[in-house]
Amino acid sequence: MNQILMLAAIGLPILAGACQSLIVGKGERSGRIYTSAVMLLTSAITWALILTAPEERFALLSFTDVLTLVLRFDRLGRFFAGIIATLWPLTTLYAFEYMKEDPRKTPFFAFFTMAFGVTLGVAMAGNLFTMYCFYELLTLSTAPLVLHPNTKEAVRAARTYFAYSLGGAAFAFAAMIFLISNGETADFVLGGVLHTYPYARPQFTLIFYTLGFFGFGVKAAMLPSCRWLPIASAAPTPVTALLHAVAVVKSGVFAIIRLTWFAYGTRLLIGTWAQTVALCAAIATIFYGASRAVKETHWKRRLAWSTVANLSYIIFGAVLMTPAGLSAGLLHMAFHAEIKILAFFCCGAVLHQTGREYISELDGLGRRMPVTFVCFTVSALALVGIPPLSGFVSKWSLLTAAADSGTPLAYAGAGILLAAALLTAVYMLTTVARAWFPVGGGTLDNSGVREASWRMTVPMVILAAAIVLTGVFASPVIRAAQAIAGLG
Amino acid sequence: MLLLLIFCPMALGFVCYLLGRRSAALRSLCGVAATGLELALSLVLALGPMRAESLPGICSLGLSVELDGFRKVYIVIVALMWFMTMLLSDEYFARYHHRGRYYFFNLMTLGATMGVFLAADLFTAFIFFEVMSFTSYTWVIQEETPGAIRAANTYLAVAVIGGLVALMGLFLLQNRLGTTEVARLYDLALACPDKTALWIAGGCILFGFGAKAGMFPLHIWLPKAHPVAPAPASALLSGVLTKSGVWGILAISCNIFRHDPAWGTLILTLGTVTMVLGAVLATFSIDLKRTLACSSMSQIGFVLVGVGMMGILGEENALAARGALLHMMNHSLFKLVLFECAGVVYMNLHKLDLNEIRGFGRKKPLLKIAFLLGAMGIGGVPLLNGYVSKTLLHEAIVEGGSYRLAEWLFLFSGGLTVAYMTKLYVCIFAEKHPEKQAEFDENRHYMNLRSAIAVCVPALILPILGLTASRSMDAIASLGTDFFRAGPMEHAVHYLSLENLKGAAVSLAIGALVYLLVVRKLLMRDGRYVNLWPSKLDLEDLVYRPLLLSWLPGILGPVCALFGENRISGPVFRWILDVPLGQGSRLFGENRITGPAYRLGVDALGTASDLTGNNRVSGPLAKKLMRAGSILMHALLDLPDAAVYVLHRTFYRESRIPTGERALESLPYRAGDRIDRWKVRHGTENAGEHRYARLNYRVWRTLRATTHRITGNLSFALLMLCVALTVVLIYVIGYHM
Repeated sequence: MNQILMLAAIGLPILAGACQSLIVGKGERSGRIYTSAVMLLTSAITWALILTAPEERFALLSFTDVLTLVLRFDRLGRFFAGIIATLWPLTTLYAFEYMKEDPRKTPFFAFFTMAFGVTLGVAMAGNLFTMYCFYELLTLSTAPLVLHPNTKEAVRAARTYFAYSLGGAAFAFAAMIFLISNGETADFVLGGVLHTYPYARPQFTLIFYTLGFFGFGVKAAMLPSCRWLPIASAAPTPVTALLHAVAVVKSGVFAIIRLTWFAYGTRLLIGTWAQTVALCAAIATIFYGASRAVKETHWKRRLAWSTVANLSYIIFGAVLMTPAGLSAGLLHMAFHAEIKILAFFCCGAVLHQTGREYISELDGLGRRMPVTFVCFTVSALALVGIPPLSGFVSKWSLLTAAADSGTPLAYAGAGILLAAALLTAVYMLTTVARAWFPVGGGTLDNSGVREASWRMTVPMVILAAAIVLTGVFASPVIRAAQAIAGLG
Repeated sequence: MLLLLIFCPMALGFVCYLLGRRSAALRSLCGVAATGLELALSLVLALGPMRAESLPGICSLGLSVELDGFRKVYIVIVALMWFMTMLLSDEYFARYHHRGRYYFFNLMTLGATMGVFLAADLFTAFIFFEVMSFTSYTWVIQEETPGAIRAANTYLAVAVIGGLVALMGLFLLQNRLGTTEVARLYDLALACPDKTALWIAGGCILFGFGAKAGMFPLHIWLPKAHPVAPAPASALLSGVLTKSGVWGILAISCNIFRHDPAWGTLILTLGTVTMVLGAVLATFSIDLKRTLACSSMSQIGFVLVGVGMMGILGEENALAARGALLHMMNHSLFKLVLFECAGVVYMNLHKLDLNEIRGFGRKKPLLKIAFLLGAMGIGGVPLLNGYVSKTLLHEAIVEGGSYRLAEWLFLFSGGLTVAYMTKLYVCIFAEKHPEKQAEFDENRHYMNLRSAIAVCVPALILPILGLTASRSMDAIASLGTDFFRAGPMEHAVHYLSLENLKGAAVSLAIGALVYLLVVRKLLMRDGRYVNLWPSKLDLEDLVYRPLLLSWLPGILGPVCALFGENRISGPVFRWILDVPLGQGSRLFGENRITGPAYRLGVDALGTASDLTGNNRVSGPLAKKLMRAGSILMHALLDLPDAAVYVLHRTFYRESRIPTGERALESLPYRAGDRIDRWKVRHGTENAGEHRYARLNYRVWRTLRATTHRITGNLSFALLMLCVALTVVLIYVIGYHM
């Protein structure tokens, strides 16, 4: 039964997306009903699976002994799928309104639905090979979404996205092959499948790990390949919000966690130069992303740069290679998802209502679009890490995890985290302040600007409430994250 | 119950906001009711037993609050101040915009401030401290004038930076000691071998909380935020919010660094500088509220001097502790009275410049008496409460022995306090306005009943406390000994003894001298107050803003630019990036390094094809083969395209072939051209015919066009892929079940 449900969770959206145009054609209302039905059903199935927690392994198809498509819904996968399955229906609701005027809704929602299934596939994958397959599929199924506006910018964005993602996956492929040929088992095991270095020279293993780290790091927008993410913000906002703040980039992070904790294993990696390189890359990206966000004046791109920095918070936690670090990183994965998706929603609402893209154009919009900007304020404060909002909890955990691990590099990372928090305050709060309190009363003509419709505001309000609630009552999420890392 | 004290006003804030959308009267009633309820609740709790409560799991570490003697005193003070300012707010805000916002955030701040004072561990305190910082930001920016926005930005920046630095200290403390629970810090800190880390943590926390307290050199927000904030908010900012900063300093000074002379000296030094600087600035200011703001800073300095002496005196620190506690409390009450008086002045005149408001207080006995009581109290005149706390602090310094300089600076600052308060009093209540005096005197209805209560009731508390000092104030001081970890009192202090009166007399004498010699002679010309406010000497404009806005970016900018934003490293970096990531094809194209090599290779290829293609035997065969190959290629390359055409009803969309990429297109052309040239040379082809060049070019174009159409139809390809995947899934289900 569980096996059918798992297949259904992945297959239903893919199948439904593929058949969308055949079934509903161009009807707007029917398209909406169809898409929401599929989304809700898939989310329901996913949540049912998460709550029943099936642990059994399910081999779909074996090409050879080691090359087997395996689904296994372990704790980490359930955590990731939980985030995805909660946020996807909300974004769909938002997207209905956002894409209302778009003439090519059908293909958009078709791919949007398909990407859901593929992302769930990444979450449910039971070994590196399966994950890799879904990971590549994710690139393929989301590229048309980036391309969707069909403007010159979007074409460029899609091409860059493609080039970066596929190029990165090639490195990851090397890491995968190394592991498949040397691991004791191909499946994911917490702690890793390599008990000793397979070759006399440990360097060999570490090089392949580093390759894989940076390969998957492309999707997670790590230095040196973080440029695609701000460029990809040319996509429609629901895509930027969900895929480029949550699903795709978090798949990259998820893959790095799988690679580090469940494939190569922290036992071997901790204390090696590979860990140092990974930590340095994460720290550098945090600082670089945050600084670029301060410099950026285009609102959406600023948020994208901020995503670059925040993804590396998670990776920083994961490559501390202590259980506390992993659980802190996972906590930030969940909380950053809700915070950043909300920030993008607000940005998109303004774009949709007024067509304004630059921060200097926001003067005084707070009074015109109060719900949007109250939500954005919540998200900004949470991103800075102001208690009692959720961002504070995850940052606190990251900081304590870094201090507990006790290496000099971890301390440096903690310092950078605080510096980045300051930069976050600069780039988020200046935006908020502009919208609410324009200098000199504002010179822009805001008459005629209206609040976005309920399809946009409802998801935003839900997310803002979620940020407050998960911040105040963080314990269940913390417990879930700790259980994954094998703590308590 | 304790948590009710925190969350009840927060909840009522929402109610108040919603009611305010109905009517303004209802809103202010709700505000008064909420703060009144809070006052009643805090009184009930203060008279009840000590207690502690906690909410485990909230914000990861959980919140815990407790109520001891010191906290009992302070929750009553906080609730009282909020109640009184709320009474004044109704009239004060009558003509303001955005009142709903003010009331909402005011009540939120009340809850958060209660949280800071009640917190049993520093983590809880920090959470409420941050909430308080952000909700009070709206007070400063309430009027939304450019000045207010600038001041609010400064306030926010100080709050954010202070908060982050405090957070750093907190997590270091948590890391080293395993807890931030105030009561356990002392024992754990004693046992901790790593004193350096403790000092770093302590320094960070001092920075964070000191910023809120207005301690030098982080006082920059104080003189700016107070003049622009509405008066009730200024009273709270000055009377309560700065004290929450002091609370944090106390929490570490009395526990981690209990009886630590080095720490005591640090606090004493910072406190003395703050005290003197604030007093001097206040003397120079001619803005009513700015004077009061600088005075706040100075009085916080007095409190910090007491805190510093607590560390220096070690076990015998009872005098310092009692003095610091009482001065904290007294200062809250003074500033409540004084800022409310200033608020009454401002709501009538909408001016704060002393030259504009002089003479306003004449023939207004209520206001005059209230202000006088506040001024005398803060000046340390005997029989009022300020005298008591200052005497205790003075005695503590004397007890320390070798702190003559601190003692004289203390007395000097006390003197300046007298001087600037006299300046304010004389200006507003004694002197006459050159033009508008008659208008001022006619204004009899300058405040309504609620405002009058708000101004007079707190003013009455001052002499009551002062006159019953040996009972009421001693009792209050004894309540605080637990929190301050003060030693036992060795002897009761006779406040009105000759020795103590002498200290007050010295201060008063200095004050009189300064007033007569400096204020009247130097700071007044032709009967007007001269603005000698040293606006150029602004720490914020001179150091902090340049440091953060130009120096740091100046240093970090080039570092960041290394990652691809300048002319030197940019191309290199981009090149490095591009090569592994999909654009490696550029290597084969038209650059200067690989280009010639590649062309050479093509030349060789042309020659090789000549070898096979152009003799009589193999020539025709090769020609035929080439023709056949090109047809086959056409067919093959167009096959997917044909499929696309057949099924194009799904997602087909044509994408244009990008033009202008001649670099790539000319390659096959040139390859064919070589063949042509060779043939022309050998006479098998006419010059200018370019047969092979064209053929090659056409093949290439078709290839490109097709691939482009396919990428244009990526959607279609994906559809196919997904169908295939689904088929596989179905097969798998069927196979396994």
